[in-house]
Amino acid sequence: MLKHILWWTANFAEVLLLARSIQGKFVKRYPTFYFYLGSVLIVSLLRFAVFTFRPSSYPAFYWYTQYFAATVGYAVILEIYSQIFKKYRGAVRIANGLLLCILAAVILNIVASAVSGSAWPPGETMAALERDMRALQSVLLFVIIALLAYYKVPIGRNLIGIVVGYSFYVATSVMSLGFGSLPGFGSRPGWRSVLPMAYLATLSIWCFTLWSYHANPEPGPESKIERDYRFLSEQTSRILSRARSLLKMGGEL
Amino acid sequence: MIQWLPYLFLGLLLLAVLGWWVWDAIVHRSAAELLTPRQHRLGAESVGSRRDLGERIFGPQDWDFVVRETPPQIQRMFQRDRTLLAIAWLRRTRIRTSQVMHAHVAVARQSKDVQIGMEVKLALSYLLFLILSNSLIGWVWLRGPVQTRRIVRQTLQWVAWQRAAFERLMAVVDPANHKALETGFNQGTAQS
Repeated sequence: MLKHILWWTANFAEVLLLARSIQGKFVKRYPTFYFYLGSVLIVSLLRFAVFTFRPSSYPAFYWYTQYFAATVGYAVILEIYSQIFKKYRGAVRIANGLLLCILAAVILNIVASAVSGSAWPPGETMAALERDMRALQSVLLFVIIALLAYYKVPIGRNLIGIVVGYSFYVATSVMSLGFGSLPGFGSRPGWRSVLPMAYLATLSIWCFTLWSYHANPEPGPESKIERDYRFLSEQTSRILSRARSLLKMGGEL
Repeated sequence: MIQWLPYLFLGLLLLAVLGWWVWDAIVHRSAAELLTPRQHRLGAESVGSRRDLGERIFGPQDWDFVVRETPPQIQRMFQRDRTLLAIAWLRRTRIRTSQVMHAHVAVARQSKDVQIGMEVKLALSYLLFLILSNSLIGWVWLRGPVQTRRIVRQTLQWVAWQRAAFERLMAVVDPANHKALETGFNQGTAQS
């Protein structure tokens, strides 16, 4: 019963979000995000059809579509990344560097596994595969949020909602799928209801923050920005190292 | 069950950084925006007297007087009040260093010349500084300002140096605002 309530409420919230974005004419502002939302809604309706007319195929269909939803989820991260950093050349350069490092680490890991021949398939089951995909998403989101916090990049209400909602869902997915893919725990029904509840919480955040369009704040004027970065970083570095060494000296007295 | 721990850690880490960002970006920053202009002006006016205040808080004169002239109950009260004052003073010192870092970050996020290595080094250096300054605050809280005055004397020397460096930095980052600050500071000194 609870499952059905969660399922119908989530579908209703998705329709509401899409309708609001079309009515408010801001669907074009976040096209990838709304593509993700539309895909999840279609998948959900298809699942309902399969569950009703071909219940025996439902488990396999569920995991294949879940894998598809996780793949499309990368588009949301791309949307977040491109929308947030597009006007901040310094922050985008650091983000590019760090995200390329993560990508290189993942590729190296896959190549190493392929060469050793031990674990070429990234997951033994579909749950494990989705878990690994969500784990990578959580690392990417961690880097993006850490940069957002460190550089204090100002963002609008819509993007705050997308970041908070999706990050919350990914974090919950990683933990619950990690638990569900343990041997002997996959068959327990309890952990499977965590994901729909987390998704409903995410949709509530999105409904609250994406009800109307809020533009991102514009960065400060150019004239104040184009300073000598090298001089500035040397000064900051000197201040910090001096502060640290004096405090250390103090600690030793 | 141990296989689950990396995923649990990853999920909790993401939730933690998300919580920190939401707190900083929404709750803390909106309060800071309201307070910043007033704090900035006060900071400019009291730069000269801040060091004197620190020397007074951590100096032995008041403590020697209290030990000589008052009963133990008053001595305990004095120590408790001075500890609170000392911690407040150290926190203000930490805020000044954070202002330097914030000025750097505000420029770096939009600079096309930004260097990843330098940024990582600065971020780690700042993190280490925060850990050390918080440890110092903890130490004062535990042992009181009188027992830790030797440590704080070093900090006072650093604050004087940092003030000069900060002003040099602000002269480059924001010359207009720096001129205004300098004028405010001179007026504050003249009035005091």
